Amino acid sequence: MDEKVIYEKVKESVVEALGVDDDEVTPDAVLFDDLGAESLDLLDIVFRLEKEFGIKIPRGGIQADALAAEGENLKDEDLVVDGVLTPLGIEKMKQSMPEIDPSRITEGFRADDIATLFTVQTFVSITKKLLEEQGK
Amino acid sequence: MGIGIDIVEVSRIEQMAREHEQFLTRVYTDHEITYCTKKKNKYQHFAARFAAKESVLKALGVGWGRDIKWTDVEVVNDPLGRPQINAYGGVKKLMEQKGISEILVSLSHVSHYAVASAQLVKGK
Repeated sequence: MDEKVIYEKVKESVVEALGVDDDEVTPDAVLFDDLGAESLDLLDIVFRLEKEFGIKIPRGGIQADALAAEGENLKDEDLVVDGVLTPLGIEKMKQSMPEIDPSRITEGFRADDIATLFTVQTFVSITKKLLEEQGK
Repeated sequence: MGIGIDIVEVSRIEQMAREHEQFLTRVYTDHEITYCTKKKNKYQHFAARFAAKESVLKALGVGWGRDIKWTDVEVVNDPLGRPQINAYGGVKKLMEQKGISEILVSLSHVSHYAVASAQLVKGK
């Protein structure tokens, strides 16, 4: 599916879930900081996208995907120790999620806090990836 | 040691439950669903439990994600009706790492809002 088509549907889901205006939603808008989302709203967006696209976004799947250690001779503990990103984990997160402001991911950043930095584009990318995996 | 507080609109929880069939099972344990569903104002009880889960995470200083799921924090009531926290999975592991033996929680709800506060107790 074309990324523009995905973006329009993601945008619609964000508008409906957050009750924000159409023109506030841009690819780089940060859901928490710019659009006033809370954790319940992220769940709302995830459920709407699952329904709209017929996909299943796994729990923590967005972060887990960005920190996937497979295929690179890396172990989980090379990237995350006690929930905190290692310097290598920080680098990998920045590479995997280029849409996120890299200056916000600093030493001591917890892997589970990455959701606070999600942008609209984050949801476009994960949806695109999951659709491709399903051959859609 | 760590405290957390959260407030939730009851109508928002009701809307989520009505619009998304997976909401209740993704966020609440079977025990919580059974308990709340029996109540007259069930969405107030669901909302209070949602606030409790958020307040526990705030007290622990973490967010939901890779290692922590919503059902890792469960609210149960003791025989006197006082709410207590059962921790599982990633939350239990985090408590062990931080040397926390117990999490105290207090809930309150009225027709429109539910609030909860949580306090961490260090092990002896």
